Amino acid sequence: MSVASTAHHEQTDSVWRDLRQLLSFRNISAIYIWVAMVILFSVLAPETFPTLDTVRIVLTDQAVTAVLAIGLVIPLAAGAFDLSIGSQLGLGAILVAWLLRTQGLGLVPAIIGTLAIGACVGLANGLLVTKAKISSFITTLGMSSVLLALISWVSQDSQILNLGSGFQQIANRQILSIPMSVYIMVVLAICVWYILDNTYLGRAVYATGGNAEAARLAGIGTDRVIIVSLISCSLLATVAGIVLSSSLATGDPTVGPPYMLPAFAAAFLGSTQFRNGRFNILGTIVAVYVLATGVKGLQLIGAPVWIPELFNGVALLIAVAVTRRRSSRKRARSAETTSLTADQAA
Amino acid sequence: MTGAHGRTLVRVEGLTKAFGATTALGGVDLTIHAGEVVAVVGHNGSGKSTLVKLLAGFHSPDGGTVDTRTSGGSPTELRFIHQDLGLVGSLSTVENLALGTNTVRPWRRLRRSDERREARELVRRLGVDADVDAPIEMLSPAERTIVAIARALRGWDELPEVVLVLDEPTAALHGAEVDQLMDVVRRVAEHGAGVLFISHRLDEVLDVADTIVALRNGRVVGNLLRSEADYARLVELVAGHAVEELDRRDTGRGTEVLRVRGLSGGAIRLFDASVHAGEIVGLAGILGSGRDDVCAAVFGAAHRTSGAVAVHGREVAAGDIRDSIRQGVAFVPGDRHRHGAVMTMTAVENLVSVLIPGATSPWHRVRRRSELREAARWFDACGVLPAQPEMELTQFSGGNQQKIVLAKWLRTQPQLLLLEEPTQGVDVGARAAIHRLIVDAAERGAAVLVASSETKELAQLCDRVLVLADGVVVEELSGSELTENRILHASVPA
Repeated sequence: MSVASTAHHEQTDSVWRDLRQLLSFRNISAIYIWVAMVILFSVLAPETFPTLDTVRIVLTDQAVTAVLAIGLVIPLAAGAFDLSIGSQLGLGAILVAWLLRTQGLGLVPAIIGTLAIGACVGLANGLLVTKAKISSFITTLGMSSVLLALISWVSQDSQILNLGSGFQQIANRQILSIPMSVYIMVVLAICVWYILDNTYLGRAVYATGGNAEAARLAGIGTDRVIIVSLISCSLLATVAGIVLSSSLATGDPTVGPPYMLPAFAAAFLGSTQFRNGRFNILGTIVAVYVLATGVKGLQLIGAPVWIPELFNGVALLIAVAVTRRRSSRKRARSAETTSLTADQAA
Repeated sequence: MTGAHGRTLVRVEGLTKAFGATTALGGVDLTIHAGEVVAVVGHNGSGKSTLVKLLAGFHSPDGGTVDTRTSGGSPTELRFIHQDLGLVGSLSTVENLALGTNTVRPWRRLRRSDERREARELVRRLGVDADVDAPIEMLSPAERTIVAIARALRGWDELPEVVLVLDEPTAALHGAEVDQLMDVVRRVAEHGAGVLFISHRLDEVLDVADTIVALRNGRVVGNLLRSEADYARLVELVAGHAVEELDRRDTGRGTEVLRVRGLSGGAIRLFDASVHAGEIVGLAGILGSGRDDVCAAVFGAAHRTSGAVAVHGREVAAGDIRDSIRQGVAFVPGDRHRHGAVMTMTAVENLVSVLIPGATSPWHRVRRRSELREAARWFDACGVLPAQPEMELTQFSGGNQQKIVLAKWLRTQPQLLLLEEPTQGVDVGARAAIHRLIVDAAERGAAVLVASSETKELAQLCDRVLVLADGVVVEELSGSELTENRILHASVPA
């Protein structure tokens, strides 16, 4: 009886410990910051900020950024950078418009064609990184410039209009007064989350990012993992581009690059949340919306137009600084815990 | 040197340090004389690192004193060589030695020829003939350590009272390199410096020290002169009990598992071998003999220029690691941090990171509960502490990390187990546990190939040892011929 009750005690204790750990500021600081911002802006802009409209606008505006950031998490988890995501989004946006309007393709072939070209860009990135052994940083930096040239060439540097109402419906049709773009984002987030967090494929991605050589020696095809993760990222960036063109009803050659920084900021900020320094989808989505809430709030209280850039840049720097600091502290602590545990063991 | 020490350089009395409720160091006394090598030995967590950190002023002590004045009253300088040597890999020896010397006038023109002459003298005085213009990263690990020592001793002539503190200097070195470093350490002491040598490798301590201080749980459990100490005595002091010697019962050979014919690649040339089920075969030889290239080449992880490897009569192709694993081959690489494990992932994630091809598809759902149950079983079987499989691998001690890496491969139930330096950087207790696991695997019918720079380990563990020199097998030892001495003797090319 007493044994059973101690066991029970231990169990409740550990449940409490897990819960405390789960809700600790270290683990979910972004959520606390989010709540604080919501309260702050609600007080400062009581007329405009705490409204359903604001919620809907933020949710919709950020769907494209969120899709892009979800894509970016995959190569980052596998230890590869993709600096070309902004241009890839731009390419997707302009290609789909060009195929629909200039080439006169149907809706489905245009979208499939755009996705196929997007995948090819990812494949090219992947092959350059794994076979030509160029660092992902340089590869994708170079690729982004190539893509910008391609966008400029395809579009003749002008917008492509009149994409048809069918195409516009993709992002803009509303269910429960929320546009499709948000649903698309949620579905993609769930798929990528499932694969990264719940399958051995996801494990292989994280292992490759953690130590590619050790992963290779454990029988993981690390080159393939990197190629596939870069292709997935390209596909998601292309989807983001298609969704963006659809919601704007325009193919605009200049839309891509500004999306890169918010996506990076969200992915890095997201990595400080929930999973103890690991890139993860849930953290990234939360980060996208925390950043967007901050930007929106600042705009509504009348901050100048350059605020979003500043806000995202500072957030990226802080997020990376926090990760670095945390990992160096963890290393220092681990040295001490090993001596403690060894002492207890002896 | 023993007995006839010079003046006292450093006197440590009653040094105490606690972290929270745990006493890391409890009243440590220690004296270092000029010309003396004092070794501090102990397990991971015995307080060695805390002692170094207190001496370096990284922590401040809770009690006790460190007196850094000689008996004559003049000050002693402590110079530290930490495990990562603090050298700039892309700069040459000359440049590294000159780093930090002209901080007063950073714009002064470099006097390259002077610097080179000084560097060459300094390095030569330590008895090494290294290229002082080559980038540090091109030097061997032992030469790098020696350059770090040279840098620490710079300006020593004007300031004779120096104690050199070496914190685990041999952790990254192999057999022959250790000897090279030991020569330097002895030379430094002969020039009149004191040396504090921190290590957990007992045989090298016996080799170099004049006085040996054994730590356990933060306390000094033995302070012996070299003449009073032997290996068994030190093991007992460090572990707190006598560690049972490995008893290998002769299980007899089973069928042939591994057959290697004419394998070349890396440093090895036309290597032949045959390993049977239940047999543990060792690979000995000095650094560069090819000893360290065999396992990776057999596994298919390294390039082969020629030769054939067959497991149970079936060819194992080079470069297809999944195929090797499918055929029941397991490979525990020597460099755990770089090749053996993903340090940033948890212990359980590392443990299950080898997908047994065919059994689990990559799209398979991860079952966390059953993984944790399995991890708990392995932790228990291998004696991994603390028993927290969800802790990141970096947070375990070296010995426990190594057990986890070994368990990761034992979990695949290998027919052929390839091991490189299985107990490198591991304390005495963990070493015995790892040896037990290897023997158990062999008794269950695995064929085992072990490459090691530790001849003692090979002599204890193996049924048969192949000694390599210049890439070829020069000697095969078994039965009563299999002794440390014979291995050492055969390793050195005539």
